[in-house]
Amino acid sequence: MDNDLFEIQNQWQKAKGKLNPKTGAISELYSKIKEKEKSNYFFYYGTISILSLTLIGISLFFYYVAPVQETLSRIGVGLMILGLLIRIIIEIGSIHRAKSINHSDGALKTLENTYAFHSYRKMIHHVVAPTIIACYTIGFYMITPEFAKYIPLPYLILIDVSYVVVGIILFLVIRKGVRKEMRHLNELSQLREELVAE
Amino acid sequence: MDAKQTELFEKLYADHHAMVLQMCLGYLKGDRIQADDVVQEVFIKIWQNLDKFRGASSYKTWIYRITVNSCLGFINKSKKEKKRNLNELSENLEAQESTILETDEAQTLYTAIGKLAETDRLIIMMVLEGQEYDTIGEVMGINPSNVRVKIHRIKKRLKKLLTPTNHG
Repeated sequence: MDNDLFEIQNQWQKAKGKLNPKTGAISELYSKIKEKEKSNYFFYYGTISILSLTLIGISLFFYYVAPVQETLSRIGVGLMILGLLIRIIIEIGSIHRAKSINHSDGALKTLENTYAFHSYRKMIHHVVAPTIIACYTIGFYMITPEFAKYIPLPYLILIDVSYVVVGIILFLVIRKGVRKEMRHLNELSQLREELVAE
Repeated sequence: MDAKQTELFEKLYADHHAMVLQMCLGYLKGDRIQADDVVQEVFIKIWQNLDKFRGASSYKTWIYRITVNSCLGFINKSKKEKKRNLNELSENLEAQESTILETDEAQTLYTAIGKLAETDRLIIMMVLEGQEYDTIGEVMGINPSNVRVKIHRIKKRLKKLLTPTNHG
C-alpha cells in the first residue's frame, strides 16, 4: 500500500512542479482584492444604510409632514418604526456573526460557525422578517383611518392596494431567501457529518 | 497594508501558489478555471487576514486551513454561480483541452481524487503533500486518530480508483 502511495506522491509532486501562475496573476489578484473590499463593505453596511435611511425618512415624515394625532395612528407609526429598528439590530447581529467566521480556523470549526451563521439567516427569513413585515403592515393599516380624513378615497385605495402588491413581492423574496439558506444548511450539515465520520 | 506586509504577501504567493492551486485542482477534478477562482479567493483571504496571523502555526499550515475552508465554501456557492462557471468552462474548453493533454497523468490523478468524498479529497491531498497526521488533524479540526482511520480508508479507495479496470 505504501509503495503505491509513494508512486502517487511522486506523480503529485511532478504535476505540482508544472503548475505556474498565469502571467500578470499578481496584478490581477491586487485588483480582485480591491473589488472584494468594496463588495464586502456593501455586504456589511449596504443593507443597514438603506434601512437606516428608510427609518430616518419615515420618522421625519411622521414628525414634520404628517404628524398623526389619533392614538390608533400613533400606535401604527410606532409599530412601523419599531419594526424597522428591530430589523436594523438583527442586521447588525448578522454582520457580527458573519465576521466571527474565521477562515483560518480548522475546517470543522469553520463549518460549524458557517452553519450557525446560515441558521441565524434562516431564522431571520423564516421568523423575524415576516413578523416585522406583519408589524409594519398592521401599523400601516392603523394609520389609514386618520389618513382617510385628508386623502381622497381613490388615492387611499391606490396606496392600500399597492401595499398588497409590495407585500406579495416581499413574500416571494423571503421564500427565496429561506430556500437558499436551507440549501446551504443541508450542504454544510452533510460536509460536517462527512468530516466527523470515521 | 504596509510595504513589509506586501512583500511578505508576495513571498507567500510565490512560495505557496503551486500548492494551493494543486489542492484546488484536486478538489475540483482538475477544472483549472474554477480552481483559479478558488486560488484567488484563498489569496484574497490571506491578504485580508495577514495582520491577524499570530504565528501559532507555520504559514504553510495556516494557508492549508484557508485553502481547505475556501474549497469547502466553494461547494456552498449558489447553483447559479456554478452554472455561470460551467458556461465559462465550455467557452474556454478549447484552451483547457490543450492543458489537459499536456498533463494527462496529472488529470487522471485529479479526476480520481475528485471521485472521493469532498473532505476525503482534502485529507488525501495533504497526505500527498507529505503532511503529518497531527497537522492534517489540526487543519481539518478533527482528532489525529480519526485522521489515521480516515487516511487508511481513503488510500484504499484512491488506489482502487487509480487501478485500471479490465472491461474486456
